[in-house]
Amino acid sequence: MQQHLGRQDGVQKVDVSLLDGKVQVTLKEDGRVDPARLIKAVYDSGVTVAEMDVTARGHIVKDSAGGIALQTQPNQSFAIVPNDLSKSLESLAGTPAQVTVRGELYKKPAGKKKPDPNAPLRLLILEVVKKEP
Amino acid sequence: MNKRKLALLLLLGSVLPAGSEAQIKHIEMRVEGMT
Repeated sequence: MQQHLGRQDGVQKVDVSLLDGKVQVTLKEDGRVDPARLIKAVYDSGVTVAEMDVTARGHIVKDSAGGIALQTQPNQSFAIVPNDLSKSLESLAGTPAQVTVRGELYKKPAGKKKPDPNAPLRLLILEVVKKEP
Repeated sequence: MNKRKLALLLLLGSVLPAGSEAQIKHIEMRVEGMT
């Protein structure tokens, strides 16, 4: 798994803790990484991703479904799951303000439902780390 | 403004925004089924 992940674009280093199943991914400075490809790489190595948490910085934009999304690259954005924290970001949509958030980007479906590594990733905000006007 | 100052300003202008770019900063996963 470590090798599969280490070969992905934007990944600098992968640290795996066998004790608690935690995988820390250190990214290259440009931050150009596709989380969906990381999840797929883990699955391809025969391991299941239970959760993926990210810390990301970007602009809040309106998405096509009428909600908001965090845009981290010109061609990369993640729809934000509505919650109390996301409400505080709605007013920033379309402004040049940047926010840094920590959130859950993927969680394995509960029960015996088979996880779909190709399902679109949605960001559940757990913490608004910083707002920059 | 002489050429050296102008070059320095251009250099700073190209380097500083790169550090403040929007991007994914950190990723942590919890995995199951590792042996």
